[in-house]
Amino acid sequence: MKQHLGRQSGVQNVDVSLIDGKVDVTPKEDGQIDPAQLLKAVYDSGVSVTRMEVTARGKIVKDVDGNLALQVSPSQSFAIASNDLLKTIEPLADSRAVVTLRGELYRKPAGKKKAAASAPLKLLILEVQKKE
Amino acid sequence: MNTRKLALMFLLGCVFVPASQAQIKHIEMRVEGMT
Repeated sequence: MKQHLGRQSGVQNVDVSLIDGKVDVTPKEDGQIDPAQLLKAVYDSGVSVTRMEVTARGKIVKDVDGNLALQVSPSQSFAIASNDLLKTIEPLADSRAVVTLRGELYRKPAGKKKAAASAPLKLLILEVQKKE
Repeated sequence: MNTRKLALMFLLGCVFVPASQAQIKHIEMRVEGMT
């Protein structure tokens, strides 16, 4: 799995801890990495992902429906799930402010042996690390 | 000469600043069934 993940676009380093069941992925300098692609790569190697967390830096934008998203590059953004922390960054929507967030991008639904890896990823904010 | 340097710095700033402003910094996954 480590080799399989290491071959994915934008991956600089992969650390696997068999004891903890933890996989750490360090993106390349440009940060151009696709978490959905990583999720699929893990499933393809026969391992089930129960949870995926990301730390990302970007701008808070509003989509056409008024929902907030974290834009990490001109072509990549993640819809943000509603919680109390979302309210703290809501005023920054469509401003020039840049925020660093740690959030849960994927959690395996309870009771299912294998979740659909193709489901759209939504970011549930766990921590607002920085507002600039 | 100074104007050229300033123009060059401005151009480099335009190219590199957006890339450094936004990006994914780290990804952590919890997995099961790993041997």
